[in-house]
Order: sequence, then structure tokens, then C-alpha cells
Amino acid sequence: MNAGLEPILTASAALLAVGAFAIVARRSALLMLIGTQFMFMAACLAFVAFARFGLGAVNATSGAAVAIFAGATAVAELAVGLAMAALIYREHRSMAVDADRG
Amino acid sequence: MPLIGALPQPITSAPLVILIYAVLVLMVASALASVWFRSTLYALGAFAATMVLVALLYLTIAPFLLFAVQLLVFTTVSAALLVGLLRQTAGLDSTQEPFSREWIIGAAVAAALLALLVVVEATTSWPVRASANAGAGFGATLTNTYVVGLAVLVVILASAALGSGLLLAATTLPAPRPRVPRR
Repeated sequence: MNAGLEPILTASAALLAVGAFAIVARRSALLMLIGTQFMFMAACLAFVAFARFGLGAVNATSGAAVAIFAGATAVAELAVGLAMAALIYREHRSMAVDADRG
Repeated sequence: MPLIGALPQPITSAPLVILIYAVLVLMVASALASVWFRSTLYALGAFAATMVLVALLYLTIAPFLLFAVQLLVFTTVSAALLVGLLRQTAGLDSTQEPFSREWIIGAAVAAALLALLVVVEATTSWPVRASANAGAGFGATLTNTYVVGLAVLVVILASAALGSGLLLAATTLPAPRPRVPRR
């Protein structure tokens, strides 16, 4: 029994699918933002796994560096998204993304 | 299609392998739970658990700095932002019923995406080369090789902080433009 690239990539794919499901299926802005975080995390995991197990990376730290950048970008996106969600809630008393359809 | 690479050298230490598999399974399960829960508070807890599990996975396969940043910065900041929003809003329970039309469409999209990724992963012969010094000089790499990336990241974070602050300071949503009737 060993752990290589495949199990981590499979988990990354599953995480990406869960994130996509959250974005498509849920109407709550908060859960949709959580879904985007999952998708960011899935990409970070794939980067780190590829860097850890080689794949022609210049050095093993490249994937981790990209993961840090992507993670910080995800947090920035979350901050702006949550501010927009708070504004929508203030206006419509609902977190549903289609609340302002009228 | 085989890619350029070397001999496969996966992790073979039994306790580490078991830990990695357990973390992977728990990570996907908690992510699913956070989407499934009707209570936003529970969903938030499951989301935080997923973030912590990702950090734990980083501990086994990535430099220690990434583990620390994921656990102390990303997890904490994300959870704090979400809890902050929850405190401003009252509706903790979702009004959306499970297995509604949106759920079915979402499940179809997610299944198609997952199938595509699994096919790509299964049909590609990934070259694997384990690197022993994964943590060596990570900080130096960040500040030397990726200094431009770090600078861009600072600009992005500052813009996000400014933008979200301005949005929160606004009292109402901007009024939509009036519709012009077609002739």
C-alpha cells in the first residue's frame, strides 16, 4: 500500500466537483462562496501534489508557492463576496442570490 | 499518453499512507457535509473542518510553511469572515428543499465534471518523482523567485480589503438602471 499522486488528484477532483455542485445547486450566497473556496482548494491541492511528486517541476517548492498565492486570492475573493452578500441581505433580508430579481 | 518523467516513488511508510488516505476521505466527506447541511452554522463548521484537513494534508506532502499559512491564516480568516457575515444575518436555516430542481442540475454538473477529471487522470500516465527536500528554502524561494507574485498578491489583498470595506460602508445596493421599452 502506498500513497502517490493518484489518490490526492482523485480527492482534488472530488473537491472540485463538490464546489461546482454547491455553486450550481445552492441559492444561498454564503454556500456558493464556500463552493468557490472548495474549488480553489482543489486546485491548490493538485499544484502541491504535482510539486511534491515531481512532474518536471523546477523545484518542489513551486507548487506550494502557487498554493499560497491561490489561497490568498481565494480569501480576497471571499471578502469581497461576503461584503456583497451582506449588502444584498441588508436590502432584501435574504441571503438568496436571486432575492433581488423582484 | 505518457509524459516526460522518472520512476514512480510514492510514499510507502505505512502510518503516513494510512494518515493520508484517512485525511483525504474525511476531507471529501466534510466538504460534502458542508454542502448538504441545511443549517448554515453546521455548513460553516464542516467548511472549517475541510480547511483544517487540507492543512493536515499539506503537513504530510508540502513545506511546513504552507501548513502553517493554511491553518493559521486561510482557515482563520475565512472562518472569521463567514462568522462575521452570519452575525449580521438572521437566517441560519435554508429555505431550499433537498432534491429540488437546482439540486438535480447541480448534481449533474458535478458528476460530469468529476467524470471528466477521473477520465483525464486515469488515461494519463503521470510521471512521479519524489523530492526529498520539499521544505528546503521555501521562504527564500517565495521572496526571491516569486517576489513579483508576492507584490501582486499584496495589491490584490489591499484592493479586496478596500473594495469590501467600501461595499460594507454603502447603505443600500446601487439602483438598477431603468428599462428602456423596445420600439
